[in-house]
Amino acid sequence: MPKQELDSEELFNLALSIVGLVLRDGPMQVKELSEHFGFSEKTIVKAVKTIANSEDIGRFETHFYVDEELLDEGEVDFSAGRSALSEPPVLSKRQTTSLAAGLDFLAALPQFSQNSALAQVREIIGSGTEPITDLGLNEDQQRLEPLRSAILNKQQIVAQYVNQLGQKSSRAIDPLRIDFIGRRHYLRGWCHLKQELRSFRLDRIIDIEVTDQEITKQGSSATIPEEVFGALSTELTVEITASSEASEIFWNFPSFDLKKDANGSTTGKIQVGNLQALGRHVSRYGGEVVVLAPQSAREAVSEFAKLAMTGYDGPGDED
Amino acid sequence: MTQAVSKQSAAERLFTLTCCLMAAPVIGLSKRDIFASVSSYAQQASEMAKEKMFDRDKTALRDMGVALEVLDSLSFEEGDTARYRIARGSFSWPKDFVINAEHLALLELAAKAWNNQLLSKSAHSGLTRLKSLGVMQTSRELSIFTPRLLAQHDSFAPLADAIANSNMVAFEYRKPDSEQAVREVSPLKLRFIEGQWVLLAKQGTQIKNFLLRRIISKVTSLDNASKPVSDEEVAQAEAELADFVSNNKAVLEVEQDTEAWWHFGGPEGSQVEIHFMDEALLAEDLMEFGSEVRVVSPESLATRIRSGLEKVVQVHA
Repeated sequence: MPKQELDSEELFNLALSIVGLVLRDGPMQVKELSEHFGFSEKTIVKAVKTIANSEDIGRFETHFYVDEELLDEGEVDFSAGRSALSEPPVLSKRQTTSLAAGLDFLAALPQFSQNSALAQVREIIGSGTEPITDLGLNEDQQRLEPLRSAILNKQQIVAQYVNQLGQKSSRAIDPLRIDFIGRRHYLRGWCHLKQELRSFRLDRIIDIEVTDQEITKQGSSATIPEEVFGALSTELTVEITASSEASEIFWNFPSFDLKKDANGSTTGKIQVGNLQALGRHVSRYGGEVVVLAPQSAREAVSEFAKLAMTGYDGPGDED
Repeated sequence: MTQAVSKQSAAERLFTLTCCLMAAPVIGLSKRDIFASVSSYAQQASEMAKEKMFDRDKTALRDMGVALEVLDSLSFEEGDTARYRIARGSFSWPKDFVINAEHLALLELAAKAWNNQLLSKSAHSGLTRLKSLGVMQTSRELSIFTPRLLAQHDSFAPLADAIANSNMVAFEYRKPDSEQAVREVSPLKLRFIEGQWVLLAKQGTQIKNFLLRRIISKVTSLDNASKPVSDEEVAQAEAELADFVSNNKAVLEVEQDTEAWWHFGGPEGSQVEIHFMDEALLAEDLMEFGSEVRVVSPESLATRIRSGLEKVVQVHA
């Protein structure tokens, strides 16, 4: 995936990495390096030129000779002049920490829990192979396996799905990708009923049937946006305030106009699909999140919590 | 200005500096040697500008994992007699590390998980560095997954830095049911447990777990070096947490055919038994299911949920 322009430290980092790779494996095509490192061909050429322009002007000596003619033809080759640099340095602590935390996160997901390659990498990158407590998403595992094979084989599925309001429906879906966002899995796919790309929460899919029909043209040509939240068709803006500990609620919605006060509380606006779903999102924080406006949203939350309390009103040992 | 050499970019300057230091004799290079060898320094108008540029570059090199050493036989501080070199052996990978396509695909996912936040830049540059170990086919098997971290806690980056630099930190921490207090700890590890980021840190003589969401102040880096902790101690603390979780049991009654019922795997009877790390966090997850779930035991959890819901009603009255 080509990325935006690199800053000078990143370009330096890329140059070191190209040196290590080419000295190890021999000449390579710019195109090949571009695909491997995930940067544009232009960026690769820029990094190679960084290597070329490394003359020691005090001694009139060159560290690397880059074959410029070959580079113009799209090939990268260089020979070490007086350079003692033959391999890129090992990772910095910060690089290691960030990758290790990412790997830890993967290890907590059910689809990777038995992955031996992950255990090997985690041993080297420093987070150890000790199993960490999982996300308690074992139920998702049963849904992940058929979905994974359906996506790889490009097969349509029929899912029994319960939406946010508890309404059950049967959906024909072209399954495309599985995202794990925050703490939940989502299936992203082309919904035949709605004729658009939709996200389906895995824990709300109660049954999956993998059909032998291939996915549709619309499905295979659809581009899934990287955005975590799609545009909601019926959006409502709600103003809320959350204590420091509950401020993560803002990560779960498109949010804006955020302001933090001296106590660490955050006030801002979120966009929600419907009021019934808002009740549960707010109630989970046990009063640490307060809806300020509109009044209808405040009432919806209050209704949800009152209904939830009925389960705790009785003596507990009632027959 | 030297005629033969065109103006260097910052990346070229860092690269040339690295090459010069790598090629240096065992005693290293003096600042004067360096300023005479790297054209960007030579082109600076004043000594002060050279010094400033060199200071910035030293930090950049270290940030990128280049082990720059300063040697000075005459002084304990980095003075004019200082000599610089790159530690021998710091440019090599673990000998037995053979990276394969699956390893690389996993590392790619780990870096992508950061989704342009916080440590995303370090993770991606680390991945680039790892890719110098060889070209291989990417695995389509894994490309269908896109896990994304939501770690927007302000404390995350300073804690990761403190772990990397082995220094102690201070922060205010608030446990549910108790007052907030300042904690001074040696941070060891950031872990992702049950959907929560947890800091493993040594406080006094004990290794403890701190939930990042309960850190309510800025994380301040202290001058003290962190207390050394052996791998065994860390492993023991992790095992203790796992034990703790397996001993924490809750019994729930779940209404059939509701979302909660499906969430808990559609149990045969109406009751489910689950394990948890933290009662307050579990209470949150259960409150979200509203009337679909009722806590049978422990009583403390039921009480916590009841008072939580009462508070919700109260603040929305």
